[in-house]
Amino acid sequence: MTAPPNDPNAPFNPPPRQKPASMAVYKRELRREIRRKKTEPEINFLNITAMMDMMTIILVFLLKSMSAQSASLPQSADLTIPKSIVTTEASQEGVAVLISKSQIVVDDNPVVPVPSNPTQGVEGKYKRSGPNDLYIVPLANTLQTWRDRDKQVRAATGKDPSSSEAIVIADQNTPYRLLVEVLFTLGQTEFSKFHLMVLQGAKK
Amino acid sequence: MERLSAQQRSKIRRLSEPKELAPDEEGGELNIVPFLDIITNVLMFVLATVSVTFTATLDTFPPRAGGAGARAPTTPTLGLTVILVNEGFSVKARGGNVAPGCNDVGPGLAVPKGQIDGKPDYDYPQLNACVKKLKNASDEFKGETTVTISASPNIPYQAIISTMDAVRKNDDNGEDLFPDVNFGLAR
Repeated sequence: MTAPPNDPNAPFNPPPRQKPASMAVYKRELRREIRRKKTEPEINFLNITAMMDMMTIILVFLLKSMSAQSASLPQSADLTIPKSIVTTEASQEGVAVLISKSQIVVDDNPVVPVPSNPTQGVEGKYKRSGPNDLYIVPLANTLQTWRDRDKQVRAATGKDPSSSEAIVIADQNTPYRLLVEVLFTLGQTEFSKFHLMVLQGAKK
Repeated sequence: MERLSAQQRSKIRRLSEPKELAPDEEGGELNIVPFLDIITNVLMFVLATVSVTFTATLDTFPPRAGGAGARAPTTPTLGLTVILVNEGFSVKARGGNVAPGCNDVGPGLAVPKGQIDGKPDYDYPQLNACVKKLKNASDEFKGETTVTISASPNIPYQAIISTMDAVRKNDDNGEDLFPDVNFGLAR
């Protein structure tokens, strides 16, 4: 006879303990479970090292080309450079002679003032023999100093020392007479090649 | 089939949990995002402040006072001279003045000023057509690349540069016409 189900005097009878699976089955299940729960590692940081390298190289080139092309040109109401259709590279060789509306400047040093009406060139007192002459004495003296120094540099660096070059940066309204006086004075002080500075991009 | 016991299942559950990496075991990447922010700002300021002016240079030679001491050429030369005056371009070739229309020798301005955008201005396309016609007039002039440019004292520099541009290349096919410029002195 069996005891009733709620009999407190019945003896404790635990459920039979399950027999563990074999080690091979256990390991197989463990491997399967590890594989199932495995997640791809989260990418916390984007690797932008390659992009940074590229950006740095581009930046260096950009700054270098800009510094070469801007050529420290002070564009203002006193000096507006004429426009041209040429697209050649600007030459950096030679002394910079700047003709603005108010003065002639050689290598950042003002040399001769430009009169308010420069259609007859600079004032006669600055020229060798009066208003009709083309030779501007203070300009020639400054250029001669530069030329003497450049001659030695050219001789030392293996370039032809017989003549020098000049970069002429003139305002777009400079009258032809004043331009020719400057070019003539440059020619008289052994400058044989002139680079006329212009801005690219004029319309045809 | 064999079944796993509760103990084995529990152990498998415990062992199969993905391991948390310690901070020192994570990939060693430097956080350069703030640095990039700074660089980007600096770059924008640099680009905004640098005034980009694309310049070029036109190469020329000292002005010549013309005539004296020059040897007579052994072959016929064009000897092109363009003179800017207030009314237009006077063109001289082979020692004679080119007549209006650039077809013949005679008095007058070869290319007078025209109406450009409703106001009188130098007619650079016409000048280009004129020098092209003169250069193509004879095979002997094909190799000639030098032009002398002169002007009245009051002519602005921009007009000189535009004239140099007009005689430099053929507008139609880009061929060189007279790229070598000498400045002349009005006597």
